Amino acid sequence: MKKLTYFPGCSAHGTSEEFDHTLKLVMKSLEVELDEIPDWNCCGATSAHVMTENLALALPLRNLVLAETLHNDTMGIACASCYARHKVTKYELDKDPVLAKKINTTIDDGTYHGSVEVKSMLQFVYEDIGIEKIKSLVKKPLTGLKVACYYGCLLTRPKAITQFDSPEYPMSMDRIMEALGATAVPFDFKTECCGASFSISSSDVVLSLSGKILEYAKASGADMIVVACPLCQSNLDMRQPGVEKLFHVKLNLPVMYFTQLLALAFGHDQKDLMLGKHIVPVEKALAKIGKEPEKKEEIKSKKTVESEEAK
Amino acid sequence: MARVGVFVCFCGANIADFVDVNEVVEETKKIKDVKFAINYKYMCSDPGQGLIKQAIIENKLTSVVVAACSPRMHEKTFRRAISEAGLNPFLLEIANIREHSSWVHQKDKKSATAKSCDLVRMAVAKSIANEQLHEISVPVTKRALVIGGGIAGIQAALDIADAHIPVVLVEKSPSIGGRMAQLDETFPTLDCSQCILTPRMVDVATHPYIELIPYSEVVGLDGYVGNYKVQIKKKASYVNFSSCTGCGACSQKCPVKVPNEFNLGHDKRKAIYSPFPQAVPNKPVIDAEHCLMLTKGKCGICKKTCEKGSIDYDMKDEIIEREVGAVVVATGYELYDASPYEEYGVGRFKDVISSLEFERMVSASGPTGGTPIRPSDGEIPKNVVFIKCVGSRDEAKGIEYCLKNMLHVHCKARHAATS
Repeated sequence: MKKLTYFPGCSAHGTSEEFDHTLKLVMKSLEVELDEIPDWNCCGATSAHVMTENLALALPLRNLVLAETLHNDTMGIACASCYARHKVTKYELDKDPVLAKKINTTIDDGTYHGSVEVKSMLQFVYEDIGIEKIKSLVKKPLTGLKVACYYGCLLTRPKAITQFDSPEYPMSMDRIMEALGATAVPFDFKTECCGASFSISSSDVVLSLSGKILEYAKASGADMIVVACPLCQSNLDMRQPGVEKLFHVKLNLPVMYFTQLLALAFGHDQKDLMLGKHIVPVEKALAKIGKEPEKKEEIKSKKTVESEEAK
Repeated sequence: MARVGVFVCFCGANIADFVDVNEVVEETKKIKDVKFAINYKYMCSDPGQGLIKQAIIENKLTSVVVAACSPRMHEKTFRRAISEAGLNPFLLEIANIREHSSWVHQKDKKSATAKSCDLVRMAVAKSIANEQLHEISVPVTKRALVIGGGIAGIQAALDIADAHIPVVLVEKSPSIGGRMAQLDETFPTLDCSQCILTPRMVDVATHPYIELIPYSEVVGLDGYVGNYKVQIKKKASYVNFSSCTGCGACSQKCPVKVPNEFNLGHDKRKAIYSPFPQAVPNKPVIDAEHCLMLTKGKCGICKKTCEKGSIDYDMKDEIIEREVGAVVVATGYELYDASPYEEYGVGRFKDVISSLEFERMVSASGPTGGTPIRPSDGEIPKNVVFIKCVGSRDEAKGIEYCLKNMLHVHCKARHAATS
């Protein structure tokens, strides 16, 4: 059995419980044992890194040091913001041993060696598990479901630090969804900003930014948006009634974690997906699974092929 | 034992107003090897040069430092002056106390003076280490190599050849013409690109002083200034150019169709082909990668078709050597591969194309006869969006420098799209 050091982050124990819960279901199916870091602390999030560099590096450093005691080669992080903070810290400290030593003196939990790789859960599933393995485990294909994969700003950026997928038009989640049998629609807003933590201080900013993402996803013909970040999920889901009011539109676009759909396709009961946590109801969209998708586009492309052959 | 003479110039007011030239002389005199130091209003003038010559003879100087303007201005003047006094001209050293000191430190005379003293000290030290150099003459091979047969290489070859110097022009593709042959119009005059280019291509082919070596690449170059030996690989064309008349019957009968590079894959060419109708030389070559005879040993239609018997499937690559005295590198540019830019739909949508593909479409000689079409369905687009500067100044996934001429390309393409 493969072992993965797990850093859930604060949201996984609160607002994104359904992410944490379904991630555990998925890892069980994938035969990956999650080793949660003992006594982990806050990553510092936006607050620390806009105030002081020392604290912004020291908080994730402590988690990285604790992670090394578990002796797994990789640490998987559920929250995109926690992932970015830990990944940046590892990048900065591995690059500059003098800085690493200096920051290390501010904690008393041990010495940092840089021996643990930091990955987002999306990256872990895509790279370490792989599409073939995912395909082999699908028991209930998500045929007929059209999804818009939304990555947000942090999972693939900055490229020099994340070294994962494309910074502007990533496809890893799209490929995972296709492997489950769903249709991933082309979606040009997949890395636009949702407004992030302005949800609390200036929610109007979030309404306008998330609103554009939601409208575009709707226009792309998606039945739902799939995400891998708790804050993206909360903004797109929780702020949706506000967006509908502001833009005078009816969206009704559920926002699900990719792990919820993985769990469903791997044969876990729909009741186990914690669908009650969603503001925009999910059930209607999930009911499309198994029904034939509308084949408008395919018919058109077939025509083109025929005309090309005729030429 | 070194005996250095130092000559500090006022340059009128240029130096003297901002550098204390008397102090520079006094400081310089403290240096052990300096046997003579003086300043003068215009050291480059006839009396100034006379001063230097006289001092060299009277003080038996072994090297000279002139503290004045940039060596680009008067190094030659002073070299000649000291050689007239019997010193080797390369024993001169210039301390540039004008451009490097007085002009840039006009608000601080004290510091400018101190810096000038430092510059002179350094020049003195270097002049002591200088060795006598003697000019020699080396025979130069009167023949030039031009690498690349695009418009730059063509024009370079013609200019050199018109001066009655033989030129070897090497082009890697079957025809000269390069990128310009693919263009419809030039910017900003919107002249017909072909009408400027093709007569020059013919000039190259017929010029008595130009040896055109097409379908070949430079694989080695050695030698020294003015005397190079260049190795050129003549790629096997499988067509005997001396007997081939360029009638084109072979291409017509060839059964193999492959994407045409000249039109960036928007139409097909044959396995035995000439890249475009106006090609120079107008002789076909066989694409060994796709020819059925060369890959599978069966077909041979072109050989049967050719009345002149010019097809030779056994032809091999050949290395030839030429001696040249100068090399012009005119290898041109490659189209930037925009595939990292998925956000613009590159590679995702068939209707996202490069500017050169668009250029081919609007060209009268292009695959669509001058009409831009959507590759996905062959329809004429109602709207065209131009994305400029893709990859430009993008350290993360593009090129760190500015592409500089994107605006011209865009303006021209816009004109083509609307006309």
